[in-house]
Amino acid sequence: MHVRMVKKRLLDGSECRKCRQAADQLSSRGLLERIDEVVWAVEGEPDSPGMQLGARFGIDTAPFFVVRDDAGTEQVYTSVMRLIKERLGAEVSDRDEAAGIDPDDVGGI
Amino acid sequence: MALDPQKFDSIAKEYAHRDPADIIRLAIKEYSPNLAISFSGAEDVVLVDIACKAGGAFRVFSLDTGRLHPETYEFLDKVREHYKIEVEVFFPEPSTVEELVKAKGLYSFRRDGHKECCGIRKVEPLTRALRPLDAWVTGQRKDQSPGTRAEVPVVQNDPTFGSPDSPLVKFNPLANWTSNQVWDYIRQNGVPYNSLHDRGFISIGCEPCTRPVGPGEHERAGRWWWEEATQKECGLHAGNLREAS
Repeated sequence: MHVRMVKKRLLDGSECRKCRQAADQLSSRGLLERIDEVVWAVEGEPDSPGMQLGARFGIDTAPFFVVRDDAGTEQVYTSVMRLIKERLGAEVSDRDEAAGIDPDDVGGI
Repeated sequence: MALDPQKFDSIAKEYAHRDPADIIRLAIKEYSPNLAISFSGAEDVVLVDIACKAGGAFRVFSLDTGRLHPETYEFLDKVREHYKIEVEVFFPEPSTVEELVKAKGLYSFRRDGHKECCGIRKVEPLTRALRPLDAWVTGQRKDQSPGTRAEVPVVQNDPTFGSPDSPLVKFNPLANWTSNQVWDYIRQNGVPYNSLHDRGFISIGCEPCTRPVGPGEHERAGRWWWEEATQKECGLHAGNLREAS
């Protein structure tokens, strides 16, 4: 399994808030090393690799994760908690799962 | 039955300008009984009305954050009685709410922004409400929030609550309706509505975070108005979000 994490780099060179939070969630569980590759979506650079991946998969918010299994099939996770729970084999409480979701991303509630 | 997820884009295009009733009938046909309408106690009552007329098995749920207006609570009951349906009400985890209030008081959102409180009071119970479902229906519309809701397909893989291992389909039948169309439907069909709407409330959420809007103001201006409206920093695209592959 190969896990790519797409992160966004802002104009000031820092990474976006949600990317930092996702990295913290992985790190606090000792799972950061399970990320095989970090790809950057650079603000203001639509041709940057992360922006290209976002366009390819129809994802409009960073971070997101592309998981490629041994057969070459790629699946996209937009929730770090879902990735942790479903692919990285760690327990995630309902509370933690909800905390990883931005309420403004939900719509309709 | 269920729709082929690979065809959601084409289905969304096909149904984009169809009557919401057609979209709800499709949702019921393909996902009943593991389908639920998310009813916020506002003008999304239209979804309940349409679904009840369409027939078939579906659930209706609401999220009681504990901070709703009394008028909204009354309206939830009114809808239950009017349509003779069960409205499942989901509450936040008591311990999590208690911890938040103990640490930060009852109005933390005024200082810290709304995300933490919404996460505890709305998102977590919503996660539980959606868990047993294959699909849900929301009243989300493009015109509700300029920019952030510019792309609202009528059917989609839920990008937030679904995953490759646990897919969830999200229907947004009202995506391409305007507020005027929603209210025309309500009036023409005698649909009950939240009495707050008669007092200038357009978008309705929790009591501390919702206010009526004035002439010329967008409806979302009545929500969390003390927070600066800035473009989400983690967005990757503006405008069209999907490029032809």
